[in-house]
Amino acid sequence: MVAVAIPKPEERTIKRPVSNCPGCGATKVSMALKEGLRRYNKENKAKLKLLYVADRGCGNLQGWHEYGIVDTITNMGMAPMVALGAKYSSGGLENNYMVVCASGDGAYNFNINGMKIAAQDPPSMYIIYDNYAIRMTGGQIGLINEYEIEGKAIGFEVYFINPYRYEENAEVFKGLIGEYLNNKAIMVVADGTCSRDLRAQLRDQGVKLGTFIRREDCKDVVYQKERERIAKENPEKLKEMPPFKCRLCGIRLRCQALLENDPSRCYNCGACAHYDCESLTCAEPNLAMVTEHPKKYIEVFKRMQGDD
Amino acid sequence: MAETLKIDLGRMAITGNQAIARGAIEAGVRITCAYPGAPISDVQNTFESLASKPGFPRNNPFTRKLGEALDKAGYDLVAKWGELTNEPNALSFALGNIICKGDKKPREFITPEEYDTIYGDTIFAKKNLLTKDEIPAGPRVMCSIKHLGGNTGADVARTLMNIIPYPGGLCIASGDDRQGTASQTMQDNKVLFAWHFRMPTFEVHNPVNAHVTVRNAYELCEELGVAFAVIENYNQAYREVTADVNFEIDMTANKRKKGFVSDPYNLVTIGPQIRPKEKRHWGKIIPLIREKFSENFEFLNNEVIRYSENPTKMVIVNGPFREDFNYIRSDEAKEKEFKERYKDPVVIASDLVWPLPSKVYKKIFEESSIDEVYVFEEGYSRLMYFETLDFINTNEFDARVRNRGIPYEPRMYERFSYVDHIMASAS
Repeated sequence: MVAVAIPKPEERTIKRPVSNCPGCGATKVSMALKEGLRRYNKENKAKLKLLYVADRGCGNLQGWHEYGIVDTITNMGMAPMVALGAKYSSGGLENNYMVVCASGDGAYNFNINGMKIAAQDPPSMYIIYDNYAIRMTGGQIGLINEYEIEGKAIGFEVYFINPYRYEENAEVFKGLIGEYLNNKAIMVVADGTCSRDLRAQLRDQGVKLGTFIRREDCKDVVYQKERERIAKENPEKLKEMPPFKCRLCGIRLRCQALLENDPSRCYNCGACAHYDCESLTCAEPNLAMVTEHPKKYIEVFKRMQGDD
Repeated sequence: MAETLKIDLGRMAITGNQAIARGAIEAGVRITCAYPGAPISDVQNTFESLASKPGFPRNNPFTRKLGEALDKAGYDLVAKWGELTNEPNALSFALGNIICKGDKKPREFITPEEYDTIYGDTIFAKKNLLTKDEIPAGPRVMCSIKHLGGNTGADVARTLMNIIPYPGGLCIASGDDRQGTASQTMQDNKVLFAWHFRMPTFEVHNPVNAHVTVRNAYELCEELGVAFAVIENYNQAYREVTADVNFEIDMTANKRKKGFVSDPYNLVTIGPQIRPKEKRHWGKIIPLIREKFSENFEFLNNEVIRYSENPTKMVIVNGPFREDFNYIRSDEAKEKEFKERYKDPVVIASDLVWPLPSKVYKKIFEESSIDEVYVFEEGYSRLMYFETLDFINTNEFDARVRNRGIPYEPRMYERFSYVDHIMASAS
């Protein structure tokens, strides 16, 4: 009998990944930022590095486990000042560090004066993951934020992005990195990051959203079929095969539904329709198809469904 | 080889606040931040003057002479006060700076095995970025707050203890207004820093040598990877004494390289990360801190004074009481009376509040027949009294502990003499 080493409780919890919902918009934004930086460095032959400082919140919990985005997560509201401090002592742009701070809408309200301090000490980039609720503690409805007015008033140039448009956002971030290097204070509001809430809201209104579709030539699908064939013909050989072939869409979009090819887990965000892979589409309507603000366009969805 | 800058300002009047600033400058502090208030405002005020911030003229001999010398030497100093708006912001700014370990320093105080305990989980050890003879180092940082700042900034201060060893090199200076002169509460922040945050805590006793406590605590705590707190009361903050002010400034620490090494395992404070850290903190880090503070008790500006070979009484005089005990020592008649009343005791004259130097105490108890311990401390927490009780119970020594502390700071209004109190407190 082979003895199996049982991991200690602390080892088990450490290794347990923090899981975000498959459609989580926040994960797609942070991945788009990373991709935007990669594209900027490639096009400009630059060597910028990301120092990503985050507040606690579901928008930031995913970062460090599998994607290596988040460098530090501290308490609600601390991140703007931690980022400012890190900018001073990392050397900032002198050492090719671009310091980016990410907060949820709750943390933004927690320390709006920290944001103001940061705006007055540029360059700075602040990403707000706005899910319209304090999701981590049960989904209480927080204060209403008018970022366009408030952000400008405290000294930021404010940009809104649709969190589910990965490719588009990567290009937006590539451009904003240039602004950062021009010593600007930038606020990026990812509007409506909780696909779960949005979907539920639409469902209550009788709107049905579409789910992802893989074409037959998707490398993963082809490979899965090959595995099934070998499993039938030569089960021993199956052990030598890795369990997947590509999975880039799932990894980049941080989507467990895609990773496991399970449409029943899809939250209908539609990010895969905007991902640069010909094998992947999403049935409309989905959250990525709205033009700017998913939350604000729920009414539009409702009308569209009524028209049908 | 550390580069030291020597500056002799000559004999001058110096306050407790300036003495704390002096200790920080001698340690080579580069980042200073605060959201101050009475009685501690002048610590950051001094830094703002030295950093030539607008609106902070060098209008006293201390800042004028020191500022000129530091400018000439190219001392690097960042000072942030008003723009930080409150204590949580000031502490968060400090935290952001302290996590940037872009340089290294030689290992001096800890053994290679202790290095593993403190740094073994960091990226520096895991990826062999440094050898066991090298400690990751960043800027030294000073953050000063008044006692109420301990309440508002508690969120950040407590988080600091979840990212050990990254807070090494940070000092939080707290001005305690225990007599309620300029605050809405009369507070004893020792209970916050020592018991709630579990941060090494000192209470300085005299502007003449407070800088020694601050400077040497930077040296040791940086290597142990913990932040430390320095508390002063109202009297200490504003009292001016005449002293020979000779600086010996650690310029190597001041000129450390800037940089950042990503280590999310240690810098992400969410449940799965902090649970094993909390366990390690209780099980390994705090015992190690106790051990190192015992080993370096005198280096940290504390004294053990033995009046006899085999004393039966132990007297602990901490912070403000230590100053009055020094007055007793300087007067032959009073010292004689003290010795008679306490039967030639052993005296622990300390700035250190927590952790209790258990090895030092244990040695005294094992070598003597101590049956009574008198604890003189200021503040309502009676922290050292309870810590001493805990020490005696844990080690099963047969001795009584007498609480002789004063719950607030009565000196300014009541002209209360700690000398008389010490003398009258013997059983």
